[in-house]
Amino acid sequence: MNIQFKKGVLELCVLSMLERQVCYGYELVNEISKSISISEGTIYPLLRRLKSEELVTTYLQESQEGPPRKYYKLTELGRKKEEELKKEWFTFVKDVNNFLKGSEKNE
Amino acid sequence: MNKKEFLGRLSGLIKDIPEEEKKDILFDYEEHFRIGLEKGRKEEEIAASLGDPKVIAKQSRASCILKEAEKTTSVNNIMRAIFAAVGLGFFNLVIILGPAIGLIGILVALFASVFAITVSGVAVLFGTLIGPVFAWNVYIPFAAVVSIPLGIGLTTLGLLSLIGTFYLAKFFYKLCISYLKMNLQIITNRRNRE
Repeated sequence: MNIQFKKGVLELCVLSMLERQVCYGYELVNEISKSISISEGTIYPLLRRLKSEELVTTYLQESQEGPPRKYYKLTELGRKKEEELKKEWFTFVKDVNNFLKGSEKNE
Repeated sequence: MNKKEFLGRLSGLIKDIPEEEKKDILFDYEEHFRIGLEKGRKEEEIAASLGDPKVIAKQSRASCILKEAEKTTSVNNIMRAIFAAVGLGFFNLVIILGPAIGLIGILVALFASVFAITVSGVAVLFGTLIGPVFAWNVYIPFAAVVSIPLGIGLTTLGLLSLIGTFYLAKFFYKLCISYLKMNLQIITNRRNRE
C-alpha cells in the first residue's frame, strides 16, 4: 500500500483509538500495527504533532510494572477532529467503491 | 541494532533541534523500548519494528523546525523549514527553490529601493535646510520652495512604503508557513469534496 496513503490514515486511526480509550504510546503503536503494517516509529512524531495542535494532551501515570508512563488523551478539539475525519473517510471510501463498481460494469 | 545504537543514531540525527525538544523525543523511544522489554521482546526486534531512525528523524525535524520558523521570523528559519520538508519528499527541490529564491529576491529589491527613496528624501531635505549653514557644497537643482516639500514628500513616501513592504514580507512568510504545514498534514486533511 502506498506509503503516503498510510501516513494519511494513520492520524485517523490514532485519533479513533484514543476516542475509545486513554492509551500510552506503546499500547497505541502495538494496537495500530496489528491492523496496519507501518514502521512503528513514525507514530511518535505524529503524536507530537497532534499534541502541538492541541488535539491530544499527555500526562504521566505510575504503572504496576515500573516507572511512570506517558499517557495520551483526546481533547474536546481532538474529539471533533476525529468525528470529522471519520465522516470524510467513510464518504471517500463510498465514493471510491462506487467508482470502482461503475468501471467494472463498463468493462 | 540494539536499543543503545538506535537511540544513539536517532540522537545524532536530530542534534540540531532545541535540547528540550530532543530530550522529549528520545524519552518517547526510551519508554517504547522499556515497555517492549517488559513485554518480553528483544531490543533488536523492537528497533527493527520501529523502523529506520533516519525516517523518524526527518519527520521529527521537519515539524520541529517548522514550529521554530512560526515562532521566530527569520529567512534562515524558513529556509531550514523548506529544506526539511524537501527532505521528507513532499516536493521537488527545484520546484520549490526557484520561487522561494525569486520571492526573497523581490522582497530584498523592494526593501532596497524603498530604503533608497527614504534616504534621498532625507538628503534633499537636510541638504536644503542645513547645507547653507555649514557651507556644504550641496548641489540641489531646485529652489528651497520646491526641495523642502519634495524632501518631506520623499521621506514620507519612503517610510510608508517601508512599512508596507515589511507587512508584505510578513504576509509571504505566513503564507509559506501555512503551505508547509498543509504539506506536513498530508492526505487525510485534504478534502476530496467540500
